[in-house]
Amino acid sequence: MSAPSAVSPAIPTPARPVSAWVLAQLGSIVGPQHVLSDRGALRTYASDALATFAVEPGVVVLPASTAEVAEVVKVARSAGLPVVPRGSGTGLSGGALPVPGCVLVGLSRMKRILEVDLANRWMRVEPGVINLDVSKRIAPDGYYYAPDPSSQSVCSIGGNLAENSGGAHCLKYGFTVNHVLAARLVTYDGTVVDLGSAVPDTPGFDVLGVLVGSEGLVGIVTEVTLRILRKPEATRTFFATFPSTTEAGHCVSEIIGSGIIPAAIEMMDRLAIEAAKAATGLDWPDVGAALLMDVDGPLAEAEHTSQKAVELARRTGALEVRVPKDEDERLLMWKGRKSAFAAVGRISPNYLVQDGVIPRTAIAEVLAEISRLSQKDGLRVANVFHAGDGNLHPLVLFDAKRPGEEQRAEALAGEILRICLRHGGSITGEHGVGADKAPYMGEMFSEADLDTMARVRCAFDPEQRFNPGKVFPTPRLCGDRPGIYSPHPAELSGLAERV
Amino acid sequence: MAVLALPATPADAILGVPPTRVFRPASLDEAEEAVREIARDGLRLAFVGGGTELDLGAPPSALDAVLYTTGLGRVLEYAPLDQIVTVEAGVPLAALQARLRGEQQMLALDPPWAERATVGGVVATNAFGPRRTRYGAVRDLIIGVTLVRADGTRAKGGGKVVKNVAGFDLPKLMVGSLGSLGLIGTVTFRLHPLAETSSTVLFPQVTPVAAGRLVLEMYAAQLEAGAVAALWTDRGVEVGCRFEGFEAGVRQQRDRLSSIAQKLQMPAEVLDGSSADGFWRRHTAAREAPASLRAKIASQPAESPQAAAEAWAILREALQAPRAVLYPTLGLGFVAGDVPEAGALILAIARARAALALHGGHLILHAAPAQVRGQTDVWGPAPAATFLFRRLKDALDPEHRLAVGRLVGGL
Repeated sequence: MSAPSAVSPAIPTPARPVSAWVLAQLGSIVGPQHVLSDRGALRTYASDALATFAVEPGVVVLPASTAEVAEVVKVARSAGLPVVPRGSGTGLSGGALPVPGCVLVGLSRMKRILEVDLANRWMRVEPGVINLDVSKRIAPDGYYYAPDPSSQSVCSIGGNLAENSGGAHCLKYGFTVNHVLAARLVTYDGTVVDLGSAVPDTPGFDVLGVLVGSEGLVGIVTEVTLRILRKPEATRTFFATFPSTTEAGHCVSEIIGSGIIPAAIEMMDRLAIEAAKAATGLDWPDVGAALLMDVDGPLAEAEHTSQKAVELARRTGALEVRVPKDEDERLLMWKGRKSAFAAVGRISPNYLVQDGVIPRTAIAEVLAEISRLSQKDGLRVANVFHAGDGNLHPLVLFDAKRPGEEQRAEALAGEILRICLRHGGSITGEHGVGADKAPYMGEMFSEADLDTMARVRCAFDPEQRFNPGKVFPTPRLCGDRPGIYSPHPAELSGLAERV
Repeated sequence: MAVLALPATPADAILGVPPTRVFRPASLDEAEEAVREIARDGLRLAFVGGGTELDLGAPPSALDAVLYTTGLGRVLEYAPLDQIVTVEAGVPLAALQARLRGEQQMLALDPPWAERATVGGVVATNAFGPRRTRYGAVRDLIIGVTLVRADGTRAKGGGKVVKNVAGFDLPKLMVGSLGSLGLIGTVTFRLHPLAETSSTVLFPQVTPVAAGRLVLEMYAAQLEAGAVAALWTDRGVEVGCRFEGFEAGVRQQRDRLSSIAQKLQMPAEVLDGSSADGFWRRHTAAREAPASLRAKIASQPAESPQAAAEAWAILREALQAPRAVLYPTLGLGFVAGDVPEAGALILAIARARAALALHGGHLILHAAPAQVRGQTDVWGPAPAATFLFRRLKDALDPEHRLAVGRLVGGL
């Protein structure tokens, strides 16, 4: 999201300055003008889009090439400093949150499109290229890049790789990991290695599959080969309203159960509709729930499936079905959906975005549970989500000016994740674990699961140079069994809390 | 609950390397127990499912025990409305598909030998068939895994929801691993609805260049083929393009491809529904027929007809009853045949690899006589990332006891 959770921004942990030697070394690699160490710059980079967390980095460095990134990593290593990679900083889980004293490597200067091969349907880009710019470049030829996170006009491909970003259309087309053919990686000791290939089935382990979604913990990606797709011949969209999320959820199940694979199917509840209307001026009615759905493909296929889906919507209790009369109206409908997060700012001073996943068939039940929690805690929750794959984005509304309300909102958001886990789901569908959800990893995975994942991480980065403190709930050393957790004295005395 | 070790027979050998004992656990608990026992004894171990792709990879450099997964045969959870299924590794693919068909669904993987191939084996060997064009490969369909590590630790990755980015992607790490990082115990897949209908446009006699042109024309016309396969024999090349989906869309696409064929002056036949079975049976027969050599060839998709034609021209000279299948949308194919004389074939493989390399491609031997294996690396040149493969092996199987030496780079 470009305008993320408008929670009260945290006051950043002040910088632990890096040495003059490090500054000089970095300056000699990237040019002194691309090394930022003044207080204002450090503050600017203290948070990503999850503004509740803020830590000033030791230094910000903006390299322009693979070779520069490798040299920067070597300097950080010889100085014993952690390295945190950052793309556009639009992440919602604190994945690009600095750790104290780190070298923050911003990749925004590496934004060249290096090569386009339409016949073989791939494109090689630098990590700072903006998601939407990939599709823009090849649109005149009738091609596009499928993953479309709501922040696609500002988020970077490198960040997409780190988080394995999804978007509304991943129900049919898959996530970032399904659209990355190869990547160039700088590892903890400055080694540069190519993973994957534009030619399929290179022998060996699927290290590329591990890299995508590793949240900046295994290295820095400096080049990416993306799969690009031929645009579908036709897209058909409809917007349907329902008395409540129960009927809308039933409609989703019926459509998918009928053999249709929608390109996207999104649900909004009453509060989310209200917010989207306030932000965009759309003339959506005041109803309990709405679905926005795309089907695409060859013309006759898209026509047939959209007709069938509309019938199913009517049969499952739709109050009204609207079909956009032209592409402009279609885009407006989607704008309403994609701006829903930010739009919530119109109806609440502050809010938290959650990102849980549940089996699609549990939607009605889980929404009812969330609603009960919301009433019990006296906090409003707006729901806007990718209904086709059960990826909920509950928005917990609160007013930070009221004492204790932010803490209650955070507790409620956490409870929602636990509901998702009880229904066999996941704590994150597309935003990543990052700093935010690391404490919940132990509720989704066993110690043995986490140990196995930590071993994989250590195979890439035995020094844990990259993004330490993210994803894993407890610190662990490579080559060691993790120690048994013992509470800090301050926790026992109630002075501090382990979140 | 000690799991009985049984004495091995010659039939338990993997590429001629015999184990001394075998284990046939009947549940994941028993399998875990067996792996622990094997770990205590420091034995070198390999996992075997249906045994359909056992010849893929190098022979194990050391082997004490084989653990058969065929006793892990339960479907643990099937949620048709959520379109996911969790199965134990030893479930044969065809048996799973039969169960899913009852709900008008499928696992969109169609590798050869589906009657015998187990889902664990399909994951471990990254096996695939023509559907890969539309639905992707194993890595695109696997969403969860339970594995048993070399030390007997049971761990899971992923989950049972399709959209999930929590934690490192252990399921993908298992794909193509040949069991060298752990036992694949259970697998969760995303499923797809069965298509209402299908239609195949058959091009009975084409040149490789024309096959390539055809694929590009299909993209240009925004046709979305579900599968494209070219069958190569000494008599020539035939190509089948299959469309799947709802009746209206299938009919329209089939008719458009027929018009494109007319424009290109390529004779074509339309085979609706089951009338195309003959072609697809020939396709499966070409993949499954016994052959002492089977090689997978890969290149960039748009160059694959040309690259395959070059590799074919070289390899057929050294093979009896040569045949090949090419998936031109994927850039992947298989060449197979019998080997009258190993020396000639070794030279031919080297030349075919050089020809494919000019297209950025490679060749992997899925089956080859021992004399050929002795003198050529079945994987070809190790990729630059091999040092990472080694570190992953060190991390998850530190004593190097699982499927030792089977993988690229001698891992």
